[in-house]
Amino acid sequence: MKWVTLVMVLSLAIVIFAAQIEIIVWTHEDPNRTPLEERYIQEFEKMYPNVKITRVTYPSAKIREVVLTAFAARKGPDIFNMEIQDAYPYIVNERVAPVNLSALGLRSFDELKSLYVEGALDAVTYQDKIYGLPLELTNWCVFVNKKYFREVGLDPEKDYPKTWEEMMQVSEKLVIREGQIIKRRGFDFRYPYYLTFFLPMVEQLGGTLFSEDGKTAIVNDEAWLKVLKFMKDWGPNGKNLGSPTYTAARKEFNKDNNTVAMCLSGLYQIDRIKAENPDFYNSKEWMVVPFPVFKDAVKDVRCNYYGHYYMVNAESSKEKQEWAWKFINYMLNHPEDYLLNVGLIQPKMSLIESDTFKNYPYAKVFLQDMEKAHIVPLHPKGPQFEQLIKEAIESVMLTTATPEEALRVLKKKANELLKEE
Amino acid sequence: MRTLERKKAFWGFTFTMPAIVFFAVFSFYPMANAFWTSFFRKELLSLKPPKFVGFNNYIYLFRSEDFWNSMKATAIFAFGTFVPMVVFSLVFAALILTRKRFQKFLQMAYYSPAVLSSVVAAAIWLLIFDPRGLSNQFMNFLFNTNGVDYHWLSNENMLRLATIIVYFWKYVGYFTIIFVAGMASIPRSVHEAATIDGANRWQDFWYITLPLIKPTTLLVSVMSMIQCLRTFSTQYLFVQGGAPLKPIDVITLNIYNTAIRDRQIGRASAMSVILFLIIMSFSYLQMKVSKTENITY
Repeated sequence: MKWVTLVMVLSLAIVIFAAQIEIIVWTHEDPNRTPLEERYIQEFEKMYPNVKITRVTYPSAKIREVVLTAFAARKGPDIFNMEIQDAYPYIVNERVAPVNLSALGLRSFDELKSLYVEGALDAVTYQDKIYGLPLELTNWCVFVNKKYFREVGLDPEKDYPKTWEEMMQVSEKLVIREGQIIKRRGFDFRYPYYLTFFLPMVEQLGGTLFSEDGKTAIVNDEAWLKVLKFMKDWGPNGKNLGSPTYTAARKEFNKDNNTVAMCLSGLYQIDRIKAENPDFYNSKEWMVVPFPVFKDAVKDVRCNYYGHYYMVNAESSKEKQEWAWKFINYMLNHPEDYLLNVGLIQPKMSLIESDTFKNYPYAKVFLQDMEKAHIVPLHPKGPQFEQLIKEAIESVMLTTATPEEALRVLKKKANELLKEE
Repeated sequence: MRTLERKKAFWGFTFTMPAIVFFAVFSFYPMANAFWTSFFRKELLSLKPPKFVGFNNYIYLFRSEDFWNSMKATAIFAFGTFVPMVVFSLVFAALILTRKRFQKFLQMAYYSPAVLSSVVAAAIWLLIFDPRGLSNQFMNFLFNTNGVDYHWLSNENMLRLATIIVYFWKYVGYFTIIFVAGMASIPRSVHEAATIDGANRWQDFWYITLPLIKPTTLLVSVMSMIQCLRTFSTQYLFVQGGAPLKPIDVITLNIYNTAIRDRQIGRASAMSVILFLIIMSFSYLQMKVSKTENITY
């Protein structure tokens, strides 16, 4: 009798395990997000015991190549997320599946769109279908350490830089050097994300990356030249206010260790300050101000925003796809948790209109800037264009190249790239 | 007798089989595959079948400014590292062997950086080359200056020098140990005979040691040249750390960016085939130039 029971139990276990569906999720490292999503996994697995979710994290800089090589070998994860400019080619190449509306309990894509802020799903809309759900839409504003402002006789509330020209002047007051070596930067850019912060600076002066018909790259030489000149002045061969070779300003900012007074970052930085340096967080010696605009700007455009969208592998089985969308929907149905625990803004109407969002520190500053901004340009060759802009900026900042030379090379290479089949 | 030889051959073949299979699967197949892929236009993400383009990928590369920049960057790095690496590893080996005490300790000390992963080594040196790091402090101390930034990561030439220093530091110990082994295999009696004949230390090194370690010198020079041409992690990490790409955009880094950033695997394969041919021809040339006769004692 004992043997019969044992065999039955074993058979049952085999049947259960055989029927279990495993969903693999690859996402970027975010220490504040991990416990939250691990909790959702546990809850989801409890609700659906036949589903097992395996969440794997990779460093932000590494996930792009890991996902790409996996997809190239046709062994991609069931669910993944990346910055939208990197994920966009997956949509164009039909490597990701459209949102499964029935898994979300919806009837149409229009109904799905109505749940989000206008335009929030544009980046993942392709040929009338929607291919991802936003984990976050992020724009960057300027974080200010008020203590260092006061130290040099500035009133942070009034004297924070509103224009890029003021940014340079204020930074010159804040910078501390020992000879040529900078001990404290006033502000520094967020290298090498040039499509995010540099391009809007060009657009403020009337330049664009592509012409309206999309046939020409690098439009309006004057605007590009002025911003390249600004970057040259900023770098070690100019006024020596910062450089891509120093440690990222946003990392130093959290330490409050007299190495940087201002940095560019997203709303999530607030939670990172809280986690890394609670004393600094509680001191209230920091604040967030809008992305500056050039004095003679022709367009009031702020820092580009980018998005992380959860997407589903088109080569996963239909059953897995359905469960994947169900799980994504389950996680993303907690936008307030993501805001309060991780500082991520999910562009859901329910969140943006909530008191939680309205009362969140500096959410208004970010939202107002986002209203004047647009998403980073999405192009199948986006990363290559960013690389070309990087080369141009670094050549003026770190070598003796003039802005005119750098622009000539950039224009030539970018247009060649655009025309390439 | 024949049966014994056959038996020996069978067991010899059996024992080498795993290595042959391993080489075939993990080295030969990828090489052949890269060669084949280099004749196709293939977008890594596209599900469309690759398009045969003949030698177009090669033609594109030979016309590309970036490719020639990579050739230049690789040549500067390889020769800038290879020559000092071979010379200094030989000198260090000779110095170690002249020590009567601490020989083992010195060998260990020289070898230790080779144990570190290249990524960790590059990350450590990135901190050292930070404008506020040890390198500037050391140079300022050395030249008795104050606050001079030597632009280790931002000036084209300094950046090249920085990558050379990292590589030299990491591998010089490894080749030193190979030279030590080569020198130690020369019987003492040969040196003693030279001393009896009136040779001083320098003559002993120049006329006895150096000719007798010719096979070791060839091995070290071929290995270090291959190593230098295949450099990747240092340049990759330095660029990630904010250094400009152009001066250190060595071929391997260009292959990586073409495949991963641009997703053009056919073009990247063509570049890797070119690199393979360069390495092969350098190795062949080195072997030809330093034709070695077998040395027996």
